[in-house]
Amino acid sequence: MAKVEEVARVGDPAAARRRRRGGGGSARVVGFNLASLAAFVALWEVTSLLLRSSFFPGPLAVSGTFWDLLVEGDLQGYTLLYHAYVSLYRVFLGFIASCLTAIPLGIVLGLWRPIYFGTRVVSEPLRFIPPLAWIPLAILFFRGLGRYVFLIWVGAFFPLFILTMNAIGTANPSYVDVARVFGADRRFIALKVIVPNALPQIVGAMRAVMSPAWMCIVAAEMVAAELVGLGQLIFNYATLLRMDVVIVGMIAIGVLGLVLNEAFMAVERAVFRYRQEVRL
Amino acid sequence: MLAYRGVQKLFESDNGVLAVIRDVTASIDEGEFVVLLGPSGCGKSTLLRITAGLEPLSGGEVRINGAAPDLRRRGQLGFVFQDAALMPWRDLLSNVTLGLEIQGVPRPERERRAAELLGLLGLEGFERYYPHQVSGGMRHRVAIARAYIVDPLILLMDEPFVALDAQTREGLQRDLLDLWQRRKKTVIFVTHNLEEAILLGTRIVVLSRRPATVLLDRAAGLPMPRDPTSAEFVALRQELRELLT
Repeated sequence: MAKVEEVARVGDPAAARRRRRGGGGSARVVGFNLASLAAFVALWEVTSLLLRSSFFPGPLAVSGTFWDLLVEGDLQGYTLLYHAYVSLYRVFLGFIASCLTAIPLGIVLGLWRPIYFGTRVVSEPLRFIPPLAWIPLAILFFRGLGRYVFLIWVGAFFPLFILTMNAIGTANPSYVDVARVFGADRRFIALKVIVPNALPQIVGAMRAVMSPAWMCIVAAEMVAAELVGLGQLIFNYATLLRMDVVIVGMIAIGVLGLVLNEAFMAVERAVFRYRQEVRL
Repeated sequence: MLAYRGVQKLFESDNGVLAVIRDVTASIDEGEFVVLLGPSGCGKSTLLRITAGLEPLSGGEVRINGAAPDLRRRGQLGFVFQDAALMPWRDLLSNVTLGLEIQGVPRPERERRAAELLGLLGLEGFERYYPHQVSGGMRHRVAIARAYIVDPLILLMDEPFVALDAQTREGLQRDLLDLWQRRKKTVIFVTHNLEEAILLGTRIVVLSRRPATVLLDRAAGLPMPRDPTSAEFVALRQELRELLT
């Protein structure tokens, strides 16, 4: 009887994927990015030539150092990849710890808002204490891996908690009404309506706090007397005034941050295919 | 079967008390297709939400088979919302079967009942599509199927087609009538579209401006299927238009 009039927006799946990626003509985008990279390197080279300071090496000198660190390692023999691996491992543990604590707490307090409003006088000031300020306590009460994990956990916990709690509050009231009219109980509404509705936003929040968690690594490693980790690489060589190594460490942190973010976004897209992205 | 007696609804806010419904009294029999007309903001949707038990009354009473509306009583009601309100993380099939899932109906039974309705509404083959992958018209068909599948005593529809273009709307009106003629339900259908009201209703109830009272309550009295060019249709539309201006 009914004629299905149109199947809009289904069409060609490859075209849809291209659209989702948001790149009109991805070759152009790649070209543009290569050009801006070249421009950045050129500007860096010109600046170092103008400064003529041994504390500001140009891209050529830095890439030589990069190669040495990659192949031969630093003065202790640790390669750049090993430093990166150690830092990634520490950040990963801290990040997992904050996900395991902040997301459940955010969901629970998002469902029972009065608890949140009744505890704001404690939670809000805590939220505004920067992770750096926790370093003295962390030095006294944690050592080794635990110290890094604690500092990264502190940095990621509060933003993730707040974002999760807000995501829980965004359920379209009609979804809840639909379930209520069918006689759904609170449990069904929480588990089958509110949490699934918030899930894409919660995963987006995980991605958003991965950047501060990753950036915390330098601060967390600054205080340790160990020799490995990208933060340690930077500070140990800063005392030797080897700015070429410092810059290699900085670039490694930046590039790994980009890679983590892109990888996370790819996972998000694959998992939440149902989510219709709105692009302006 | 469904009775409203002196229903009254006030909304209290910081800006004071707003009387939305002053007095609605009506009695609806099983199998009637009641169209609720009225100017926008007059409390039509509120009356539906009160009927569903989503909104408390301020005065008077509503009785469904003698009992007050109660959300805990499962399977009494189907509700079709203005914006379809399909859950985007569920495919079309599991959107349709939501009500049965809540009632604890086992999956094979759920899917059997869904297949039948999806067939009647021309949605077969789209079970595994997600809402954002199909057209607005199809999403509204799914919303109708979702309300119908629990075999409710009363089907409440809150301007379900208002967001659709004229052509899609006509298709859905036809299909809803077909479905209703196959499986008779008591329907309360809110709209502010006069053609839609006359096309669908066996009974037409017109509410006044806020705070709402019943201005008109009459049987449509036109044979099905309705012909929008017939003299009776045009006359009734004229009568309703005058009432609403």
